[in-house]
Amino acid sequence: MNDPNKYYRQKLRVNVARAAALCAALVLFAAGNAAAQTTGEKEKPAPGAMVIVKDEAGRSVSIPQPVRRIVSLAPSITETLFALGAADRVVGVTDYCDYPLEAQKKEKVGGLVNPSLEAIVALRPDLVLVTTSINRIQTLDALDRLNVATYAADARGVEGVLRSIGRLAEVIGSASDGKALVAALQARLDELRRRLTGVTPSRVLFVVWQEPLISVGRDTFLADALRLAGAESIIHVKQDWPHISLEEVVRQQPEYLVFASAHAEEELAALVALKNAPGWRDLKAVQENRIVVVSDAINRPAPRLVDAIEELARQLHPAAFADAPRTGAAAPKGGAR
Amino acid sequence: MKQPLTLRRLLWTCAALLVVLFGAVLVALKVGAVPISMTDLAVDLGRVIFGRTAQMQSDYRLIIFDLRLPRIELAILVGAALSVSGAGFQALLRNPLADPYVLGVSSGAALGAIIALIAYPGIPLVTPLSAFLGATATIAAVYFLGRRKGQLDSTTLLLAGIIAASFLSALIIFLMTTLSGRDMRGMAFWLMGDLSTPLQESLRWVFRVGLVAGVGAIYTTAADLNLIATGEREAMHLGVEVTRVKLVVYVSASLLTGLAVSVSGAIGYVGLLVPHMMRFLFGSDYRILIPTSAIGGAIAVVIADTLARRVMAPTELPVGAILAIFGAPLFLYLLRRRFA
Repeated sequence: MNDPNKYYRQKLRVNVARAAALCAALVLFAAGNAAAQTTGEKEKPAPGAMVIVKDEAGRSVSIPQPVRRIVSLAPSITETLFALGAADRVVGVTDYCDYPLEAQKKEKVGGLVNPSLEAIVALRPDLVLVTTSINRIQTLDALDRLNVATYAADARGVEGVLRSIGRLAEVIGSASDGKALVAALQARLDELRRRLTGVTPSRVLFVVWQEPLISVGRDTFLADALRLAGAESIIHVKQDWPHISLEEVVRQQPEYLVFASAHAEEELAALVALKNAPGWRDLKAVQENRIVVVSDAINRPAPRLVDAIEELARQLHPAAFADAPRTGAAAPKGGAR
Repeated sequence: MKQPLTLRRLLWTCAALLVVLFGAVLVALKVGAVPISMTDLAVDLGRVIFGRTAQMQSDYRLIIFDLRLPRIELAILVGAALSVSGAGFQALLRNPLADPYVLGVSSGAALGAIIALIAYPGIPLVTPLSAFLGATATIAAVYFLGRRKGQLDSTTLLLAGIIAASFLSALIIFLMTTLSGRDMRGMAFWLMGDLSTPLQESLRWVFRVGLVAGVGAIYTTAADLNLIATGEREAMHLGVEVTRVKLVVYVSASLLTGLAVSVSGAIGYVGLLVPHMMRFLFGSDYRILIPTSAIGGAIAVVIADTLARRVMAPTELPVGAILAIFGAPLFLYLLRRRFA
């Protein structure tokens, strides 16, 4: 490199090589692109009738009929499908679809945020069901681009959950099962409302996460579920999952602390530790054992939500249920087979 | 330099690396959440080559050509872009630790994306665009902060980058607390580096053109970068337009990083590690380092993404985490070996 001429000659030669390499790269990409495009047409061989519906996110979805193979990308949807008696049509679920137990035996397509698109496609679904509250928009877009019919459910509030269950039933062609299930759930909610008329709502803190303390915002369906159960969250912020300072909780002194867990007994036993925890021990609710643990079904916009609401109402307002001791009535209706 | 660089050596080296890349692509096409046998794959590839796509099973066709192939292409583009921009930054700053992430570019892009998520939720194209704008804005800011007395000062630039990165990260954390649960999880996943979302066709073209332009521009300065590596003043005496070269490399490397981050989130270690490995293998002549880095980066990301798809299938791991897990120890090994 001491001789400048040699240096530039070399540079020229390298320039040629560089151009050749770039051309090769371009050709490679173009070829890959052409291959992708030729395969892009004609997605499904001769389907039967298509039905075009508007989903709950406002998108138009054409769904092949009848819907025989369903992939669910949310635990709440899996639960709803099983409650609608559509269990045998569910061909794929997520790693988190744990209820009912039979759902865990279905083919898995990955997590909620990061399901495997190819695993979904390989199941050849007629319909993929997602919720706007859990699944990513990117997943929806990707499935759209692959021409996989994808219906997005969007449930706001407990009434919204019931409506969404009814819509879902129609979309998968089980409208009558859906009507029956929704009517049964609605009847139970009406009965609950009747019992709780005149009862002052308890002021509660719903604990989503303990360290750091995370509660629910006013627009979540959890806040709505609390209202139906005769409770009122002491937190009224717009954020969905606000991080709350314990100081604020001590200042507000909620009547009850509400936790959600799949294993209520164990959770309750573990919560004894709060009596010694700084901050928490200053809460009257902790000192006086006003801690309620409800089924984690309260976290899911699915039929069991009504069970959880009833359960919470019973624990907060036992007097209102004095004439109706706990029986099998609280078991899910609509037949989770 | 191990031996003088000749055209023959350059071409043979690149050809060998391309063969490795081709092998990695074949493995990536075969392996995934859905098992596909080598014969099926060969038959399908044959059908594509002979234009008989209609005979293919539709779901395999969908998986191989609409999911895996575009994703592999994305991995190649992202790997090449990050790796070449890393090599460029290292040459420019004459600092082996320089890398798009150290300079705050990825944080800038992430901030852009998160702002788009909050301001325009539900419009998919806005997020990558905003990430790209964030990246270029950060580069510009760091570039001007890094100048002293009208000259680019390596130490000041690097420090400005580090400070900018931490400042932007703080803004990201602040904004993330305002996101809803779903967006927050999606964003966290994106921040870890993610190739699982297929790119729109139009965006893919933007990326291809951007990559070729960026890598090409840096390559035109390769010979000058060799001289700058021996010292800026010496290079200037040998007739190198140091300021112009620096500007070209800085802008192109930023463009490459912005493109990569905007589509894949924060994938670290490629820009740092791959140029080091290539330097270790083929010597530090930038005329060979830049093309080998491009191909090497592509190989690294293709392999890492294949692992990301396969290790816990069907659940996908963030490819950035895979690269960091393997990249950090490898980098330390190379570092120790170099100074031993």
